[in-house]
Amino acid sequence: MHKVTDDGPATALELSQVSHVHANGVRALDTVDLLVRRAEFLTFIGPSGCGKSTLLRIAAGLVAPSQGAVRRADEDATAFVFQSATLMPWARVAKNVALPLELAGAPATDREARVAEALARVGLSDFAQALPRELSGGMQMRASIARALVIAPRLLLMDEPFGALDEITRGRLDRELLDLWQERRFTTLFVTHSLVEAVFVSSRVLVMSPRPGRIAAELVIDEPHPRDDGFRLSARFAALCGQLQSLMLRAGAA
Amino acid sequence: MSAGTNRWSLVLAPLGVGVVVILFWQGLVTVFDVPSYLVPGPWLVAKTLVADWSLLSASLLVTLSIALLALLAAVVLGVATAFVFVQSRAVEMSLLPYAVLLQVTPIVAIAPLIIIWVRDPLPALVICATIVALFPMIANTTLGLRSVDRGLLDLFRMNRASRWQTLFRLRVPSALPYFFAGLKVSSGLSLIGAVVAEFVAGTGGTASGLAYQILQAGLQLNIPRLFAALVLITATGVALFAAASLLAWLTLRRWHESTIAA
Ligand SMILES: Nc1ncnc2c1ncn2[C@@H]1O[C@H](COP(=O)(O)OP(=O)(O)O)[C@@H](O)[C@H]1O
Ligand SMILES: [Mg+2]
Repeated sequence: MHKVTDDGPATALELSQVSHVHANGVRALDTVDLLVRRAEFLTFIGPSGCGKSTLLRIAAGLVAPSQGAVRRADEDATAFVFQSATLMPWARVAKNVALPLELAGAPATDREARVAEALARVGLSDFAQALPRELSGGMQMRASIARALVIAPRLLLMDEPFGALDEITRGRLDRELLDLWQERRFTTLFVTHSLVEAVFVSSRVLVMSPRPGRIAAELVIDEPHPRDDGFRLSARFAALCGQLQSLMLRAGAA
Repeated sequence: MSAGTNRWSLVLAPLGVGVVVILFWQGLVTVFDVPSYLVPGPWLVAKTLVADWSLLSASLLVTLSIALLALLAAVVLGVATAFVFVQSRAVEMSLLPYAVLLQVTPIVAIAPLIIIWVRDPLPALVICATIVALFPMIANTTLGLRSVDRGLLDLFRMNRASRWQTLFRLRVPSALPYFFAGLKVSSGLSLIGAVVAEFVAGTGGTASGLAYQILQAGLQLNIPRLFAALVLITATGVALFAAASLLAWLTLRRWHESTIAA
């Protein structure tokens, strides 16, 4: 799997004046302007129902916005990780991870090598032949991440990926995700409702206001990588969390 | 109670009830000396079953063939219809009322027509039984093909899956549990349809299934044989259901919740 190199434009994703009204009349997003830099780890935080998922689905090209324009630099190399692992329950883990390659018609030998590599990267090599129901929640999420990695994404969209996991597992997966991101340098759009998680993983956090969602505030987390538990326990971390909390309060998002 | 005991009691409890009921029945018949042309005892029914086996087994074969052919037709037609239905809501909306019409029309009311139109008795009876067994296959398979995890659908779209890829790799496997639920219902219905159609066709028909034996036995007041034929029909129904359940279990046991022991 190749590292994302700096050969494209510096902008990975651009949303201009994007508004969205759902078919049932719910106004989910209101004039969102967004410029995502390549290899950025951008996190959205906001109250439930403020349109975070809608925003991600628009960014993924799954939903066409009712107004505004979306420009993605890497149409083909976009992967989505959903809140639940969304694995095919009838297929073994390796088969699940191979799915994007199979759909794209990749040759079998190439496929096997890439699946094995992705599974190794998330520590699931021993579970390639397991069925999803035989895995714990955290392991299922790892399989889901492996399925995203297998296409060597340049843009990775993650909608509350660890939201359903316990605090300890979530913390571990956060660190693993950061390692991956450091190594592969894909652009990441991440949604969470955990303030602590947002500060720990992001290079930039966008606070969204209640529905219809707008981007109400921005917080840059200019802590260098790799980040470890030292950062989590530092006074600076606490200060950043406090700052984000007050931004959220002001936005009516907390 | 351990899981092992539980599984055994699952089989033993109904079996015990059956034994008690049969003993009670035999007891009543013996004690009150009920004439066998009114209610034969289970022992007499069993003896008749053995004595008339060559006659009854030939009829069983006829009824079973009708039921199985009808079930096969219902599965093929039902699945094909479901595939058409899920292609578009408009198609489903325009055709579903007719499928429902087929379902709510009593088969006894249309069977005479079908028997007149289709001269051959065997295909006529198969058509009647198919009509009875068809709707659960259509309804369940359609529901199944539509009951796809939204996230997985999104995943397929993100990866630019073709309509066919989405159908065969996602919709079909997702629909299997629903398909088998339909199959369990339709397996019984195909037998009921076959028996009802045979009754409507009456004794004049050349296809002489179990219903024909019941009619004949009734006319001749051979009540033990009537009961024996009835027992065979019931046993066939149970066997069809068991076969459908086994097929479902073999297919789904690895992954579907319905088949995973708690
Ligand atoms: N497909 C849809 N159709 C109609 N309304 C929707 C749909 N998806 C989301 N909504 C509504 O849009 C609003 C924003 O939803 P969502 O983007 O899921 O919010 P979040 O992810 O921030 O919780 C909610 O009120 C939700 O009920
Ligand atoms: Mg959401």
